[in-house]
Amino acid sequence: MTSTNFETHFTEVIKVSHDPELIIKLEGKAKLLRKHTIEMIRYAGKGWIGGSFSEAEIFTALIFHHMQIDPKNPDWPERDRLILSKAHCCEMHYAALGEAGYFPKKYFSTYGQFGGMLQAHSQRTVPGVDYSGGSLGTGLSFAVGEAIAAKLFSRKTSDGTIVPRNRVYCIIGDGECDGGQIWEAALSAGHHKLSNITTIIDRNRYQSTGAVDSIMEIEPLSEKWRSFLWNVIEVDGHDIDQILNGLEAAKKTSDKPSVIIANTVKGKGVPSFENRVHFSILTDEMYNEAMNALT
Amino acid sequence: MSEFLRESFNESKTMYSGHNEALVELGDENPDVLILYADFAQGQAGPYYRNKYPDRIINMGIAEANLMTVAAGLAEGGKIPFTHCHSIFAIGRTYNQIRQIAFDKYNVNIILCNTGMFWDFMGASHQVIEEIAALRALPNLVLLSPSDAVEAKKASKAAAYLDGPVAIRLAEPETPIIYHDDYHFEIGKAALLREGKDVTIAATGILMSKVLQAAKILEKEKIDVQVLNFHTIKPLDTETIKNSARETGAIVTVEDSSVIGGLGGSITEILSENYPIPIHRIGVRDVFGQTGNMEELATEYNMNITDIIKATRNVIKKKRK
Repeated sequence: MTSTNFETHFTEVIKVSHDPELIIKLEGKAKLLRKHTIEMIRYAGKGWIGGSFSEAEIFTALIFHHMQIDPKNPDWPERDRLILSKAHCCEMHYAALGEAGYFPKKYFSTYGQFGGMLQAHSQRTVPGVDYSGGSLGTGLSFAVGEAIAAKLFSRKTSDGTIVPRNRVYCIIGDGECDGGQIWEAALSAGHHKLSNITTIIDRNRYQSTGAVDSIMEIEPLSEKWRSFLWNVIEVDGHDIDQILNGLEAAKKTSDKPSVIIANTVKGKGVPSFENRVHFSILTDEMYNEAMNALT
Repeated sequence: MSEFLRESFNESKTMYSGHNEALVELGDENPDVLILYADFAQGQAGPYYRNKYPDRIINMGIAEANLMTVAAGLAEGGKIPFTHCHSIFAIGRTYNQIRQIAFDKYNVNIILCNTGMFWDFMGASHQVIEEIAALRALPNLVLLSPSDAVEAKKASKAAAYLDGPVAIRLAEPETPIIYHDDYHFEIGKAALLREGKDVTIAATGILMSKVLQAAKILEKEKIDVQVLNFHTIKPLDTETIKNSARETGAIVTVEDSSVIGGLGGSITEILSENYPIPIHRIGVRDVFGQTGNMEELATEYNMNITDIIKATRNVIKKKRK
């Protein structure tokens, strides 16, 4: 695999605005989630290392700062929903949920084990998982259903405005944008002006068997979503401050759904993994490289 | 004859009209019920909801896959969706999505419109013969197959109140009303429509009135036919099948769908494991259909009254002495 200079694709860079201490704290969290992920994959012997690492800052920003959730009450009806449509990258999902306290971290050792709680592909039987994935391209439709339900359960705030019961966050892959159902879902969310959806595209530029642009060109990606009546925001998907700004801008958008194109690097965080590793056996050498890079 | 059956079958209605009566009642009964259409023609529920509950009726366009997963999301969010699309596309284009619904046991009610072999005029591309085989292989999914408008209404209401995924087969043609309104419908329990000791006809769906007519004709030949209505194909009422097999010793199965994996396949599986007896299966025999009306198609594919009568006579001859 060759490396791609994603930075040339930025159309908009949002200025730094959050308390630097918060950002430093969250950056530490993202690093810790990568460690949990690699430990989890160590138990299973293999896993989706690349796509889990590219989404570390996205999960961190959502679960440890932005979303309205309660890890002690995972079925709280008013919680914001998080749909990981690229559900094969479940290791980072499980790492974030365990770190947030949805379940004890000792369960990380059950990942990929027969009879274990943490099954391959995010599954609703795990506390905090809102959607069982595995069939790529379906998660955004699920988010559309959740968003319509949340709007039907709207409530009045103290100042008299009517707001949806909850927001819905959906993480999709860029390779996943090959699939038709993504665009059916995008069309319907735009038509119904589902402003309570924020989709985040983990734009790591690689899919299972190669570079996205060599398999199925999806550019111009921003223009595609804009033409489907979405509010489009582009960020550096490893810059937590930019991600938070994007999430907050999306939340303020009241007349259309928002998509954050998060430009990321597959395998980000361990130099020897970057732009190389998708699904892989985790060798001792790789494990040691990861632990060195992450401590 | 069962007390639930009408004396004559001189009034006909579509199953869809019965289902629509259920939707109208459910609209008033339960604020969480919501109806989705894949650009599919709405019955009386359409104007009713648009007037009274405009937020609870959505046309999702010609995009069945999106519609089905949207329904799953709505159910997770606390709603009770009914999806409406042509059965052929529900099975062919959203099987994966239905599978996801079954896996997580969402309360989604999947209306399989214009199901089976007998969609007037539309031809082979729109006739679905494989949906029973496909859907009954899915764990957690309940599959209902009513036989007239009265039963369709009861099936839809029962589905709304069952917390889990239910698919309901509704055939397109107008079909005679068989049941009185007080007919007792219970998911998972086959209905005994006619007592008999010589042979059992186990049937599902739109061919039921033909089965009852066949049984009446056979009565004149002194053949005493028991008729069972398997409105629930999954979970299958295996106790009733086994008991009936012991009582009569021969079975004819009747359905408007492929016998491969269909009701015929299901009953054959149960009996060959538990109580092997002669069986004849009436249904589509591994062929695609063609344009035609119900009478033409039933005759061409050996699913008409005369075929049911012939099969019943023959299966009795094969009974163990």
